Amino acid sequence: MAMVDVRNVTKVYRKDAEELVVLNGLSLQVEEGDYAALMGPSGSGKSTLLNLIAGIDKPTSGDVMVAGTNVAALGETELASFRSHNVGFIFQFYNLIPVLNATENVELPLLLTHLSKAQRRERALTALKVVGLADRATHYPRQLSGGQEQRVAIARAIVTDPKVLVADEPTGDLDARSATEILELMETLNRDFQKTIVMVTHDPRAAHKARTQYHLDKGVLTS
Amino acid sequence: MKYLPYLLKHLRRNWIRTTSTVLAMAICIFLFCTVQSVLAAVATMLEASSAKRLVTRHSVSLVFDLPLAYAARIQSVPGVKRVAINSWFGGTLPAKKEGKAEAGSDATTDWSNFFNNMAVEAEPFLAMYPEFRIPPDQLQAFMQDQRGALIGRKLADKFGWKPGESFHLESFISEYRKSDGPFEFVVRGVFDIDPAYPATDTNVLYFHYKYLYEGLGRRVQAGTFWVETFDPAQAGTVSKAIDALFENSDAQTRTETEKAFAAGFISMAGNLALLLNGIGLAVTFTILIVTANTMSMAVRERRTEIAVLKTLGFSSRQVMGLVVAEAMLLGVLGGALGVGGSRAIMWVLSNSPGLKDILAGIGFSGLTVPPLVAALGFGVALLLGFMAGFVPALGAYRARITDMLRTV
Repeated sequence: MAMVDVRNVTKVYRKDAEELVVLNGLSLQVEEGDYAALMGPSGSGKSTLLNLIAGIDKPTSGDVMVAGTNVAALGETELASFRSHNVGFIFQFYNLIPVLNATENVELPLLLTHLSKAQRRERALTALKVVGLADRATHYPRQLSGGQEQRVAIARAIVTDPKVLVADEPTGDLDARSATEILELMETLNRDFQKTIVMVTHDPRAAHKARTQYHLDKGVLTS
Repeated sequence: MKYLPYLLKHLRRNWIRTTSTVLAMAICIFLFCTVQSVLAAVATMLEASSAKRLVTRHSVSLVFDLPLAYAARIQSVPGVKRVAINSWFGGTLPAKKEGKAEAGSDATTDWSNFFNNMAVEAEPFLAMYPEFRIPPDQLQAFMQDQRGALIGRKLADKFGWKPGESFHLESFISEYRKSDGPFEFVVRGVFDIDPAYPATDTNVLYFHYKYLYEGLGRRVQAGTFWVETFDPAQAGTVSKAIDALFENSDAQTRTETEKAFAAGFISMAGNLALLLNGIGLAVTFTILIVTANTMSMAVRERRTEIAVLKTLGFSSRQVMGLVVAEAMLLGVLGGALGVGGSRAIMWVLSNSPGLKDILAGIGFSGLTVPPLVAALGFGVALLLGFMAGFVPALGAYRARITDMLRTV
């Protein structure tokens, strides 16, 4: 069974009387354990597709099945719960909370669980270990490099052990060396931890690391 | 509770803004609690007034005395049960008695121990006060001694005075000063209060008006006449009848209930309470706007973080709750500081040498922030926090993740 099954999805943005069709009857399947890269020019709809898969936006029509659930049919609260259990999101600009240190940032999604403080702390430290930042556990985002910040963000994305990781240009704000490290880490998560990854990228080098590549243009898949 | 460290960290993010908002709220709550505590003290004082007792004074001002002959004419008014002279003596303890005068100093008055003392026609006056509990032997001793003083329990405890002890009082009112030195008094009785009248003050001294009258060469008149009526319902009619008696005389009178007299005496008429409450309301509203602005700025600055929280799985309701909780935390801090500050100022007023006696002298002994006022103050702070946080929180609730991430 496909981990992500996008069926005939259309997304239309309306501004006043004007309609902008961003996704036009798009269908896509990502198998469990796959590592898929979505590529395409700006405005092709790849980030919109990623948002639909992550459950942070809803399609105008069509179904988006993720881990067996049609996220398009869920209400706001159910969707939030779905995200917390099934999806880990990696942002281009890391989006760590500046007043929280690395451990606290990673711990944030665990506040929604029934884990005790000690259990939350233990899991956060484990996630930091996985991304190789155990020694930066008490550092604040301002004390970390861009690559390190992104690794903390990845630790935050995996700490709840989600089924799907979605990444929106995870190397877009990094230098080449840090980008390579992040891509290697994502490969490890896919290979060793069997995480299904859907990544949006402009970078052919990053896309090359993925097992499957999809190209979008004007809201439809071209390959 | 697991979100508390998260909220506290956010408040520390911009500590100058947080501190100024908390201080603004604390000042608001401080004002609220202090004003309400003073009003509560006034209300307590007024509660001690009996509806059966009226006070007749000079219509122009309390400063002017009334002829002694008025007593008999007031007594003749239908509905009047008894009349008693009650003159505020304004006596203070000479410093030499307290051992505070330095050698060679001209200072003879100890202002730091000021208290209320009144020259009264003892028999009718005490008959008007079912509130007082006086041991019969002490009452008899007081009635038989012209220099005798009847003192309240608080005053007795304060100075450690016991029946038989003597002391001197000198009035700061020139007409009540003797050329041969201060008046000497002997404590003849210590009165307590009937538990049914807890608001009655015992930080007061009564002595015989006759002692004052004769000590000053029979030249003084009456400060006020206290009138007891047979029926409280007739207070208005009797008051009018008394004032009508002296309408065409040189010294016109103004008769009012003891409660109205007390309220007027301490300048705490309803208008002042209205004014103080109005000021409090204006300050509270201002602080509401300040806090709401702070919270709006905080939410605006954190649009990305709110989007991140929602992406991580926090529901809109939870995010809204966090914003409101943060605003209410400001309220908790401001409220605690404000209530604490008010309690501190009340303590200072009630315990500072000099200040406390001046306040006790006008009936404000043991000023404190009543628990109900403290709870109300804290409640107002929480409500302010909630109201200030609600609108920004609603914005966070409604905001869509993709919109917030797009505007970064």
